[in-house]
Amino acid sequence: MQAGVSCIPAVGSAASELAEVWNYVANSQPVEARSALRLVELIDSRERALADVIMALTRLPITGDRLRALDLSLTGLAVGSDDISAQALYLRARLHQVHLASPNYARAGELYRELAKRHPASHWAQLGLVKLGLIALYALTEPVDAADRLAEVTALLDAITEPALRRDLQIQIGWAGLFYDRPLDEVLPHLIAAEREGGLFGLIPEDLVLQIGELSQRAGNFEQARSYFERFLREYPVSLRRYSVEQRLLELVRRMKVEGGS
Amino acid sequence: MKSRIFQPKLVVYAALAFYMVLTVWVHLRVVGSQMSRTVTIRLAHWQNEVGPAAGLNAVIARYEELNPAVHVKQMVIPPSVYRQWLRTNFVGENAADIVEYGAWLQGMSDIPVRYFAPITAELQEPNPYNRGTALEGVPWLKTFTDELLEQRMNSPEPGQYYAVTLARGSFRLFSNRQLLREVTGSDQVPTTLIELRAMAEQLSAYNRTRQSPLALFAGSKDTATLLMGMYLTGTTSCMVPKLDRDGLLSLYAHHVLGGYLQGKWNFQQPALLAGLTLLGEFSAQMKPGFQQLSRDEAMREFLHGDALFIFAQTGTAMTLREQASFRVDALRAPQPTKDDPVVGSYILGPFADGNDMTSFGFYLNKRSPLKTEAIDFMRFLTSEEGNALFSAKSGWPPSIRGVPMSREVAAFVSPADGYMLGIGYFSAGGNSRDLLARNLYRLTGPQGSPAKLALALDEQMPEAARADLAALARDAWLAALPQDARIAALGGLVRAQPEQSAHLLAREQLEAAQNQSEARALMLGRQMK
Repeated sequence: MQAGVSCIPAVGSAASELAEVWNYVANSQPVEARSALRLVELIDSRERALADVIMALTRLPITGDRLRALDLSLTGLAVGSDDISAQALYLRARLHQVHLASPNYARAGELYRELAKRHPASHWAQLGLVKLGLIALYALTEPVDAADRLAEVTALLDAITEPALRRDLQIQIGWAGLFYDRPLDEVLPHLIAAEREGGLFGLIPEDLVLQIGELSQRAGNFEQARSYFERFLREYPVSLRRYSVEQRLLELVRRMKVEGGS
Repeated sequence: MKSRIFQPKLVVYAALAFYMVLTVWVHLRVVGSQMSRTVTIRLAHWQNEVGPAAGLNAVIARYEELNPAVHVKQMVIPPSVYRQWLRTNFVGENAADIVEYGAWLQGMSDIPVRYFAPITAELQEPNPYNRGTALEGVPWLKTFTDELLEQRMNSPEPGQYYAVTLARGSFRLFSNRQLLREVTGSDQVPTTLIELRAMAEQLSAYNRTRQSPLALFAGSKDTATLLMGMYLTGTTSCMVPKLDRDGLLSLYAHHVLGGYLQGKWNFQQPALLAGLTLLGEFSAQMKPGFQQLSRDEAMREFLHGDALFIFAQTGTAMTLREQASFRVDALRAPQPTKDDPVVGSYILGPFADGNDMTSFGFYLNKRSPLKTEAIDFMRFLTSEEGNALFSAKSGWPPSIRGVPMSREVAAFVSPADGYMLGIGYFSAGGNSRDLLARNLYRLTGPQGSPAKLALALDEQMPEAARADLAALARDAWLAALPQDARIAALGGLVRAQPEQSAHLLAREQLEAAQNQSEARALMLGRQMK
């Protein structure tokens, strides 16, 4: 019993107090987080500075002067090679991308690239590449040609090794392909890969299965379309689109009979 | 000589004994009052029709019987002030512990993430109040007939569940059976638009014999908006495949709005003109000036026996049935057929007149000091017993699997026998929502026509579509931005407690949700350019 007790971290230690602060922020309880942070003692100065920035991010929007101060603080923290410096650089990029009154996408893009170069294996760098991809898909003016734009973002996938983040970007590449009216053969592999990775929630899993079925049918890949429609009916018994899918499947089967499969 | 009874020692003993008895008595009183002290949880909603409040009272009475230490106070807030009331109370930290909320409430999209607590973890566990029933051991989430579809569609944070739902509902054409028999000479009800038109002609002939004419539909701005919105989408279903760029077999708001701005559709197109012509037919079957009237006035018209039908949500059924002196039947919406002379060429098939999605969602106040008690009540409310009590007293179809329904209540559930087409032309946002009501006068009257209405709508729609897309983008940013701090904090937790895989999973989910919201906001921004 004694041995078991000794494994429990010391109650009231700075680490567990800080974990409590993070827990409050993660659960959208900034008031409690601020109170808890005030009680934390003996904390590493860089961790404290990062905590102050994160607390500021719980009070949106952030005004000009405060933003500049945060940027300065993060610039100081970003020196180094540990997780805190990678996270600080990521948060700097976020300030420029989404928290400025007028987003500076070009600057954010530079910072995400710098992050990927300096900390390629860091989670923050991987997440930054996804954000860079999203900016490139919709927010940047260049390249004008949609095919070039999508190719540029697709190339980012090579550097993203975390499966969930790869999936997140692949869905968006697929959906952007539809937005820019790209050929379905170009779009479908991204959607299929993202769907295969799984771990999605909300209506997205349902949307993806249905979408792959319908787009496959439009692309003339009838067997694939049938397989996804049937899967949809099997896996989403309470979907509001069941009737529509049943009708689509009936139509598809009729067409396959007439045309002799795909 | 001193009396024996005044001996000092005896007086001291007596005083001590009295003090001890008093101490024990005071102690027992305090403990007793502590044991019998109850806590009060408050539940607020806006359903002031006949039915829901009585249903909730029945659930509360049974719950308090099972849990004498908890008192549940029901607060019915008038719908007209609900939004302001809710916001004021949340800001003032005085909100009820459990509150009704709907994702469609305008200007309230920031409320859920700020003030509601997710209940995802609780929903994965069985509902203890289902012990001894067929639902025993079934995760709470799986006990809902639609597994909380509305939350999957509209959760403020994809992947998280914030609410439990109490009921189901749809749209129905409520009829005055007695009047119907008087006018048509039979109990036959219309199932197609062609039959409905024939009935309108019978009514017209009947009206020629009367001094004060009857209307086919009880009219008001609210009921007409419901009726026309549903039929305009349903009778132009051939447009959906054209606008469904993404292959979803249904339209989201940005498809409708963005499609308009990209020139993929407009109101001059034959399908839309046919749909507007049908709306003109409906409009002519309501009393003049109906647009100035509210739903309550339409209900009065129907209850007074001045209209054959009223189109309404099934939630109003109890009010109608309780107040009517005649039998009120709930009819499925008459469907267009391929041979319909007005809209037949533009339909894919029958459309859904409602859906089997559960609604009347209750959310948990994040700041409630009585979260445990509130969750416990939410569990009972949506247990087999609690939901059965609610349904029986409210007349609303239950949200929980296997809860029995009377035939009349079951008639309010729409089976999946029609196309679900998604967002309609006038429900993609607040700005486009008002367009039809504001311009309907261009359809009716001697100078009115579908073409004139279409022209006016096309003049005003670009601005409305842009404003609605901007609002959608704003909402998407509102959902995405606060996650930066949470993701960063989860990063801190991962650093501090790397052995806890739950932190990694939570961060992965939150990042996925943020990536989706952010991509959506950026895409909407691009769509507006």
